This record gives sequence, C-alpha cells and structure tokens, in this order.
Amino acid sequence: MPRMLRPEEMTRAVVIGSIDSLDVTIECLYELGVLHLIDFTEQDEDFKLGQPLGKASDASQKLLKLRSMIRSLGIEGHKPGGQLRTSDISKKIEQALVTLDLNTTSKAEARQRIQSLMREKESEISALGPFRQFGIPVEDYEGYDSISVFAGLCKSDPERDLRSKVPGSDLIKLQRKADVVVAAFVRNEDKVDAVRVLGEHGYQETKLPKLKGQPDDIIRRNEAVLLDLEKDLKRVEADLESIRRQFADLIVASEEYLTIEVMKAETPLRIATSDNSFVIDGWMPSSKFGELQQALGSLCGGLAFVERIPTVKGDEPPVKLKNPKPVKPFEFFIDLVSTPKYDEIDPTLVLFITFPLFFGFMIGDLGFGLGLMALGGVMRWKLKGSPDLQKLGTIVLAGGLLASLFGLFVFAEAFGVPFHPLEAAPDEHSWEVVANIPLHPLLDKMHDIKEMLAISLVAGWAHLTLGFTIGFVNHYRHNMKHALAKLAWLLILLGLFIEIMTVAGDATTTSSFVNSTVLAWVPDMTANIAGIVASIPAVLIILIGVIGLPLTEGAMALSEVVGLFTNLISYTRLAALAVGKGAMALAFNTMLFPLIFESHNIGIAVVGALALFVTQMFFVFFLGALSAGIQAVRLNYVEFFLKFFEGGGKEFSPLRYARKHTVGDK
Amino acid sequence: MIGAGIAIGVAGLGTGIAQGQVGAAAVGATAEDPKMFGKGMILMVLPETIVILGFVVAFLIMNA
Repeated sequence: MPRMLRPEEMTRAVVIGSIDSLDVTIECLYELGVLHLIDFTEQDEDFKLGQPLGKASDASQKLLKLRSMIRSLGIEGHKPGGQLRTSDISKKIEQALVTLDLNTTSKAEARQRIQSLMREKESEISALGPFRQFGIPVEDYEGYDSISVFAGLCKSDPERDLRSKVPGSDLIKLQRKADVVVAAFVRNEDKVDAVRVLGEHGYQETKLPKLKGQPDDIIRRNEAVLLDLEKDLKRVEADLESIRRQFADLIVASEEYLTIEVMKAETPLRIATSDNSFVIDGWMPSSKFGELQQALGSLCGGLAFVERIPTVKGDEPPVKLKNPKPVKPFEFFIDLVSTPKYDEIDPTLVLFITFPLFFGFMIGDLGFGLGLMALGGVMRWKLKGSPDLQKLGTIVLAGGLLASLFGLFVFAEAFGVPFHPLEAAPDEHSWEVVANIPLHPLLDKMHDIKEMLAISLVAGWAHLTLGFTIGFVNHYRHNMKHALAKLAWLLILLGLFIEIMTVAGDATTTSSFVNSTVLAWVPDMTANIAGIVASIPAVLIILIGVIGLPLTEGAMALSEVVGLFTNLISYTRLAALAVGKGAMALAFNTMLFPLIFESHNIGIAVVGALALFVTQMFFVFFLGALSAGIQAVRLNYVEFFLKFFEGGGKEFSPLRYARKHTVGDK
Repeated sequence: MIGAGIAIGVAGLGTGIAQGQVGAAAVGATAEDPKMFGKGMILMVLPETIVILGFVVAFLIMNA
C-alpha cells in the first residue's frame, strides 16, 4: 500500500498512431476523459505541431455566427427544455443557419438602427427642453461675429453678478426647482469674465443640436417621430421573439455541440505529428490504462495504440485527489489552499475527522446542531447549481451532526438551555418544563472551564503530533534530514505536553486520566523552579529536541520553539469558543425567559420573546456557527497544515467535455 | 477580576488592530486573485492567537 492517503497513482502514457486515425483517437480520448495532455513544445525536423483537423475552420465559422446570434437574440443563459442529439444538430444546423442568417441579421440590424435613432431624438428633446420657453430659434444660439453665447444650466441665479461684473451682457433665464436655465449673450471681449462669473454659479453648458426652428416645434416633431419608431421597434422585437421561440433551443444546443467540435478539432495543435504519424504524450490514472488500451484497440483497429513509458526524476505528475465519497466534499478545504504535490499525503481524510469534531465541540448544543444539519441538508440537496456550496453544505451537515451529538451526550443542552438545572442552581430554567430527558451533562460550559481547557490541549497535542508525523512520512523518502527534524519537533512537542500535564496534575479529570494512561511511563520526577513545578523528564526531552533542531533544520528553527508552545495553547480556542457561545446563549435566555414566564401581559410576552428569539438566533446561531467554522478550519490550516503541507501540485485536467444540452451518439 | 478583564480586553484590542490590517490586505489580494483566499485566510487568522493567550491568562488570574 505505497500510495495510501496520497493522490491517485499516475502513469506516463504515450498514444502513438498513424495520422489517418488521429481524429478517431482524439474522439476516443475525449470520450474517456482520462488523459491529461502534456503540450508538445520541442519541434524538430521530423515532428512538428499538428494542424487543426479539417472540420475546424468550418466549425469555428459557424460557431462565430451562432454566438453573434445568441447575443442579438439575447438568449445568453437560455436553458433548453431537453437535450438534442448531436446527429440531429449536425443535420439541421446548415439549414437553420441560412434561415437565421436571413431573418435575424437584418432584424437585429434594423433594431439597432431604430434604437440609435430613438436615442438621438430623445437626446435632442432633453437638450432643447429647458430652452422651450425662451422662444428663441435654435440657430440663433450661435454663429455671431462679435458675440459669444452661453446656453446651459446654473446651480444658482447668476443675474446680479453678471450685470455688475459684465456690463452690456444680456441674460435670459428661467428659474426651475433645482437649477436655473440661462442663455447669456456676451461681447467677445467680456468672454473671460463671463466664464468666471458663470463658473462661480456652477454653470454647465448644454450642447444644443445643430437644427433650425423653434425648440418647441422641434420637440413636438421629435415626439411624433418617437411614437412611430416605438411602433416599429415593437414589430421588430415581435419578429425576433418568434425567431427566438422557434430556434433558441437549437441555437444553444448547437453552440455547445460546435464548441466541443472545435475543441476536438484544435487538439492537434498541442501534439506532435509527422507526415505519417502522431504522438500524444500525457499522464493518466494507472487504473484507467487498460480501459484506454481496449478502447483504442477496438476503435482504431490497430492503427493507434497506447504505451507506458517510465517516469524520469523531476517529472511532476498531475494530481487527482482520491478519497472515498463521504470524504470528497472536504477536498473543498484543500482546494482553498493549494493542490497537494503528487508525493504528498493528502490531508483530506484528517480534515474529515477533525473539522466536525472541533466544530461540534465548539457549538456543542443539540438545538443549534439540528438547525445546522437542516441548513447543511438544504444546501446539499437543494442548491444543484453550485457544486461549491453543495460541498460546503455537506461539511455543515457533518459539523451539525457532531454538534448535536456533543449537545446531546456531553453538554446536555439545547438552544443554550440545559436539559436539567444544575445542582448548584436548582431554580435555573431548563427543559424539565417540557420533558424529562434522561441525559445528564458530562461537562457544563459555565462551570467546567478548566476541564474543557485540558481537553482542548489534549486534542491539540494529538492533532499536532499527527501533523509532524505526516511531515515525517512526507520527507522520509526524499530527505532524511528534514524527516529527522520532524522527529525533533515531535520530541519538543511531547516534552511541552508532559510539562503542561504535570503542572495540571490532578486539577482536572482529563489531566489525571492522561497522566495515568498515555503518560504513565513518564517518571514522576519534579523540581520547583521559580514557583513552577517542572517535570525533569519533560525538560530532558525538550532539550534533546532542541539540540536536534540545529543539526537537522538549521539554527533558525530554534526561534520557532516558542511558536510551537503558542500553537499548543492555540487549541484552547476550542474551550474559549464553547464557553463564549454558551455565555452568549445564556445571556439571551436570561432576558428571554422572564418575558415568557413572568410578564403577565400575553401580548408583550409573545412579541418580546419573538424579537429576542430572532436576535438570539442571529447572534448565537449564525455568528456562532460562522466563528466556530472559521476557528475549526484555522486550527487545521495554521496549526496543522504548516507542520507538513507544501502544496503547489498541478491539478489533473484531462481532455474531456461536459455536455449539458446535447447527447452524443456513437 | 479587573486584572482578568484587562488581560482579555487589551489582548482583544491587539488582535483587532493586527487583524484589521491583515484582513484589509487579504481582501485586496483575494480580489486580484481568488486563489489567494486560502493563504489570505491563514494570514488573517494568525493574530487571533493573541486573544486566545489573553483568554488563558485571564482564566488563570480568575482561578488564582
């Protein structure tokens, strides 16, 4: 089992054949979708980059036409009712393109002309509108030898300033709600002054159209023209709509069909061909080799075959993660960071276990857990359009499940309300009002904080130990020195953990359990240094690790020893968030319950309770779930991944296509 | 009580300042290249450890 927990095993394969069988071979490769092509780059005398298959140029031309029609008909994103057979499409497309060309192109152009004409008329109307009441013909606003005309809009009335600073100017104005329409006639020598004065009043020039006649007449004329144009536009739109109804399905399906055809036809541009043969180089999952061999044998009749070639050092096979189905959605977290390298251990499985555990512990509430499961379920099964959200839904579902289990068996509470009141506070509100649930808490969020801190630290130690172990395995075959460095880190981590457990001693059930089982082999020798109990074996183990570090990873690594301690402490966020969330829910419930039980006005009770319930749901449920989710991811990304994960692998992307609106036929 | 409050309060303040700056940069980087999201998030949550340390210290003070 050499590749356990690692990405799918890849084989370097070349497909060789006679040039006559090239298109059949390409067809076959796309159909199977197992070969990750390596682009051919080193051309020489004999082998050159291939030429596109014969059908390429015809298909791309048709594709271009179809895409422009899709735009002019406005059917981007149209979803055909059913799937069309590719053989039907290729039969129909020739004819359909002619019909469409005749109708659509001319109609679409007519629509465009009408629309631009309408825009022109509308802009004339809006430019002339303010000047309607001045009664001056449009041509009189320009064309003087000694006079400049300013026609436009001012924010405030410039009349008084203009009269005092530019004597001899003539101003016509119209005060409107928000601005003033002005037409100022100024002698050319006063132009600069006028510009300044008008500028102070926020003047903006209106570009008047080059027309003749009274603005009022022009506007009326334009309005009549617009009415006619609108009728024309409606007619053209109706024609286009009927074309759309008739051809949309065919066009969208043909577009998909031709896109795939072009993709296939252009594949030779990435492979090596000579006058009589071709060579396709690539990677494929080892398990699929036989399948390809068989398919080529039966389809190409001995004209093309596939062969394994040995890998060379430095080869980087593409990475296809290999995980059982329930674990698959957690690859989402890996994709967010980076694809693992081919030789690296794929940490998805660890995430599958640790994420829901951490998340569940932090939420730890039956009510919220069930709510999260419902949310996750909806995302998983109802959001068919978004695979990423579906994956996230599965993750939330798993997290919610663990949160419910923790809430049920460990914390014994739902919606922040305990199943039974604590012994210390028998008057506390609890679910006993509703039902007597035969489960009692093992931990109480408000009182067993020490215990929860200890549990967090044990979880942290286990998680980090696993991280360093994976790091050791990753390096074991390539670089023994780096692998040994991971061992040194493991020792330091163990020493820190022993020390922490020694200090905790019997203060918590967890630490005394760990001390008497996992750490039972550690000799009980302690010294009191500056008021702190130090375990001598722990100090010795840490020392061995610290000495080992400069020898394996370099002296710089020593500066990170303190960092490892903070890494370990970092896991106390598990306890911190659980307590924080518990406290938040408790605070809301303290406000909620008196309203329900002690207010004697039923109206106030219901309204107040509802309002509080909604805010509580928002704060405790959504924000709580969000922060618990982020923290659970963070512990994996930062504390865990940084101990071993390198990433930067190349993703496996084989030659293949996805048909949505078409079905191929053999 | 006051000591514990200061421990967690000031630690939270520090985390807030650090995270605000890192977060702004991370959002910028993600906007340019969505693949940076994972890396951005790792950097973004690093300062959170400060407030966790504050929490532990506050807790130890409360128990002492």
